[in-house]
Amino acid sequence: MKVGFIGLGRMGKGMAQRILSGNHDLAVYDVFPKAAEDFRGTAARIASSVADLAKDREVVITMLAEDSAVRDVALGAGGLSASLPKDAIHMASGTYGVETIRALEAAHTAAGQTLIAVPVLGRPDLAASGQLGVIPAGPEEAIARCEPLFQLISKRIFYAGTKPESGSAIKLANNAVLGCAITAMAEGFSLVRKFGVDPRVLYDVMTEGLFAGGVAYVGYGKTMVERSWDKVGSPITIGMKDAHLIAAAAAAAKVPLPSHDVYVQRLLGSIAHGDADLDQAALAKEQARAAGLE
Amino acid sequence: MKVGLIGLGRMGQALAARMLGDGNDLVVYNRTAEKTAETVKAGATAATSIAGACKDREVVITMVTGDPALQEVTLKAGGIRESLEPGAVHLCMGTHSVAQIKALAAAHAEARQLMVAAPVLGRPDAAAAGQLGIVAAGPESAVAMCEPLFKVMGRRVFHAGLQPEHAAITKLANNFMLGCALGAMSEGFSLVRKFGVAPQVFYEVMTESLFAAPAYKVYGKIMVDESFDKVGFTTLLALKDFNLIMAAADEARVPLPSGNAFRDRLLSAIAHGGGDKDWAIVAREQARASGIE
Repeated sequence: MKVGFIGLGRMGKGMAQRILSGNHDLAVYDVFPKAAEDFRGTAARIASSVADLAKDREVVITMLAEDSAVRDVALGAGGLSASLPKDAIHMASGTYGVETIRALEAAHTAAGQTLIAVPVLGRPDLAASGQLGVIPAGPEEAIARCEPLFQLISKRIFYAGTKPESGSAIKLANNAVLGCAITAMAEGFSLVRKFGVDPRVLYDVMTEGLFAGGVAYVGYGKTMVERSWDKVGSPITIGMKDAHLIAAAAAAAKVPLPSHDVYVQRLLGSIAHGDADLDQAALAKEQARAAGLE
Repeated sequence: MKVGLIGLGRMGQALAARMLGDGNDLVVYNRTAEKTAETVKAGATAATSIAGACKDREVVITMVTGDPALQEVTLKAGGIRESLEPGAVHLCMGTHSVAQIKALAAAHAEARQLMVAAPVLGRPDAAAAGQLGIVAAGPESAVAMCEPLFKVMGRRVFHAGLQPEHAAITKLANNFMLGCALGAMSEGFSLVRKFGVAPQVFYEVMTESLFAAPAYKVYGKIMVDESFDKVGFTTLLALKDFNLIMAAADEARVPLPSGNAFRDRLLSAIAHGGGDKDWAIVAREQARASGIE
């Protein structure tokens, strides 16, 4: 298959390498030329622009960090909707907002192309080993054509439905539940600390009981107990970016999200106290501060 | 060991069976005497009063529901405090408020008795299999006396501290996080439903990614199936639990905004007639708030 890949950050690089391992005809592009250097000397062609990449592709995958970036790539002059052949597919794999997905869908449909949203679950190491979860959403025929690509990048496929925005909604809702879990843990830890209990005890109770096997609790809980939020996996700024997308989706669909609102307020408090670049587990610090503990 | 046990509900009966199986000398008491029949058949002696269940005992366990019941069996005339020998241990294994546990610990100290709080994690079937988690706190020597009993009841003891309320608050904080998880899941389900997603798909995404934990698997499934009539834990009891948590947080001056949001959902669920349903019905309440039901 003739595949294009745009966005060679930590996630994108691993995914593109997996596609290449499936012996597809791959073209890659990143707005920062350095990011494509790893593909020099491989079978992949390094394109010089979005238009140069898109001109003869059947499927182009985008893996970008921001909605504004995917809008530029897809909707701008020389962007995907202007450059992809008719009948080609844009597979949008970043965590994008519902409004953005709707805008991309409209533009591609108008150009005779198809948009599918395929957000992914997992970190860069899973991307590199082809062990992600993928959540494809969009017209069935387009999803079926991309199936071989899903097989290369993922170990599990969650079919979300025929509307691209459904994939986006699932990914955002999963992140919303994560934000709430982080906030609730922070509250639980500050509560027991105020009574003189070592937070480690609550961590053990949680992770050996109701929350055993839950990466959200095992991972973020450990960072909170060890106060190692300087080692940043997912920073508070990224949490805030996703929270905005979640709130926008909820507003569009008219869904009140009181627990998620609490998370947003804690994120803001963290940023106000200068912790924007710490790992999201630092919400425990913000909660402790609110409880008079720090 | 010479053990007394007060409170033979499903959990109490399971604990009694484990202790008898390990050869302990067990005297039991229950307000409704019929409930002791099975345990007596298995080798226990039934006492006709609390005093009878405390006589000569090294450890007396209470497994009763709610603070008022615990307060009564402990402090009333002829209660545990009046009947237990000096140096003996009141091992309190129900889930109770911090304030109640503190009050009883003080009362026992005055009578030169010891108190250990050891609320359990797990359902009666886990108790019957000796697979409970036990969160224990109290004076070291008293906890040590209880260790042989913990060993036959549980798979794991979590030592929470030297004051009995340390165990109470740890158990409550764990319940707190479970409630918040239910609230958050409810919100997630409503959001995806509004975008045309089948709840089952979201359930799979959650429980096969970040949330592959019993809390999400068990309660997420109830939400997907809307099987709120099969009641594990009622909304009314959940509210009671959350009120205990909030009272502890008030006392300690700890704001719990997630807890407040969840408690409000519980109240609305009860207002809409869901008090006696399983508390996972907060998912329906969230859907209602979103204009879905």
